[in-house]
Amino acid sequence: MTKLETKGIVKYFKHESHQLMALGGVDLNVEDGDFVCLVGPSGCGKSTFLRIIAGLETPDEGQVLFDGKPITTTGPERIMVFQEGALFPWLKVQDNVEFGLKMAGIPKEERAQISKRYLDMMQLTKFSNSFTYQLSTGMKQRVAIARALVMDPDVLLMDEPFAALDAQTRDLLLVEMQLIWEKTKKTILFVTHNVAEAVVLGTKVAVFSNRPSKIKKLMAVDFKRPRLTEDENLLGLQQEILSELRPEVKKER
Amino acid sequence: MKKNIFAKKIIFFIILILFWQVISMAEIWPNNIFPSPYEVGEDLIFSASDGSLFFGIGTSIMRLIVGLAIAIAGGVVLGIFMARVESVNQTIGSLVLGLQSIPSIAWVPLAILWFGLTDGGIIFVTAIGAIFAVTINTYTGVKNIDPHYVEAARNMGAKGTQLITNVLIPAAFPYMISGFKQGWAFAWRGVIGAELLFSFLGLGFLLNVGRQLNDVSQVISIMLVIMLIGMAVDGFIFKKIENKVMSRWGLR
Ligand SMILES: Nc1ncnc2c1ncn2[C@@H]1O[C@H](COP(=O)(O)OP(=O)(O)O)[C@@H](O)[C@H]1O
Ligand SMILES: [Mg+2]
Repeated sequence: MTKLETKGIVKYFKHESHQLMALGGVDLNVEDGDFVCLVGPSGCGKSTFLRIIAGLETPDEGQVLFDGKPITTTGPERIMVFQEGALFPWLKVQDNVEFGLKMAGIPKEERAQISKRYLDMMQLTKFSNSFTYQLSTGMKQRVAIARALVMDPDVLLMDEPFAALDAQTRDLLLVEMQLIWEKTKKTILFVTHNVAEAVVLGTKVAVFSNRPSKIKKLMAVDFKRPRLTEDENLLGLQQEILSELRPEVKKER
Repeated sequence: MKKNIFAKKIIFFIILILFWQVISMAEIWPNNIFPSPYEVGEDLIFSASDGSLFFGIGTSIMRLIVGLAIAIAGGVVLGIFMARVESVNQTIGSLVLGLQSIPSIAWVPLAILWFGLTDGGIIFVTAIGAIFAVTINTYTGVKNIDPHYVEAARNMGAKGTQLITNVLIPAAFPYMISGFKQGWAFAWRGVIGAELLFSFLGLGFLLNVGRQLNDVSQVISIMLVIMLIGMAVDGFIFKKIENKVMSRWGLR
């Protein structure tokens, strides 16, 4: 069943005096439960694409259909995890995680029950009373993921969430992310510039072309899980994706 | 390290007072023009023991608190509006910048005409002296909020006043606290200045009384009190809040 469909998404940005066409008609079909990894040259509009799906930005042309209905604004069924986490430094970890529930007017005790489940899942229970400045980058991203999961969204939109992590922490989170996906059955769109990360996580990998970007190629990834970055049988597909990507990155320069 | 700095300060002030004592003992100027620190201290103890000092301090501080509270409430609301609504910024914003250039003392004649010689008049001068510093800092703070905070909050369902109280105000707080600090400094100058001119109770009034009685040591002793209160508020209250905010907001 199609969960999310984008039809001919076009987005312009003002660049000095002229209009820059960032997205040049992006068509993507995402099935319920898909884990789609988006790769592409930097500046091609991946973040913009996610933000349009989240409803944080409106496309100049085209539309996003969620369960067949066009979206017009943000909604709790489409939650974004930002590149830098965007955690609120004035709130403790638990209050960060409960933020969306509080906005929805859910009473305190109930919030605590719900957040506990996700704090446990992300192994954050020990830190629930910490402030974010006391956490490592990896821990912060765990909080950001817990804060999104707590909303119980149908679609999770993740914008390079692991880009700032060291290799060990990233490998750990790559395994956990697969388990979370299997456990929660979420539909996930995951932007990364790391091809190895994309094949480890995704059920599909979408390759963006350079600006004005479209989806150049959509590839299925069928390997048993949990996958690890060092799995040798992933290398072939990685090479294939890289060979799609390389000419696009070159055009950029 | 910290102890070291503290010791340095103490030694400096002891030397300063000794220096003052020596100069006054040299009798370059007559004693009623340049009193010794001992006489100033005596004067302080005298005005403390008859209660007039504490009554003066209490009166000034009450006016300060009320005036500053009004300035903070008004300045925060105005600053947020200016930051979020461009046409408010373009219109009221330029007025705010203009009004900020008026020294608070210059509001005194207007305050006397409007309020008479009342507490209300002095509080008006205090509040108006502080409000624009709060406004401008709040404005800057809200303008500088990382847009990801606002987007994340909107994405999680925050809107309207929820967004203001749960995100905009806390996110802008590090700037707002410097606004409060500046506002307090303006308010403190404003309240003393207004009391001098209104000559209606408070520390500023005591300064005026000292002048009328040709009592230089009273004037100096009240000035010292004004300075000490200023240092205490800066060094204890605002320093503490600032340190806490800076570290929690991850700014240091
Ligand atoms: N708000 C904006 N205003 C102007 N240009 C923008 C804005 N957001 C993004 N862009 C431009 O659009 C292009 C795509 O940006 P982005 O979606 O961040 O790319 P990616 O995430 O793939 O690196 C970039 O060239 C960027 O400079
Ligand atoms: Mg990006």
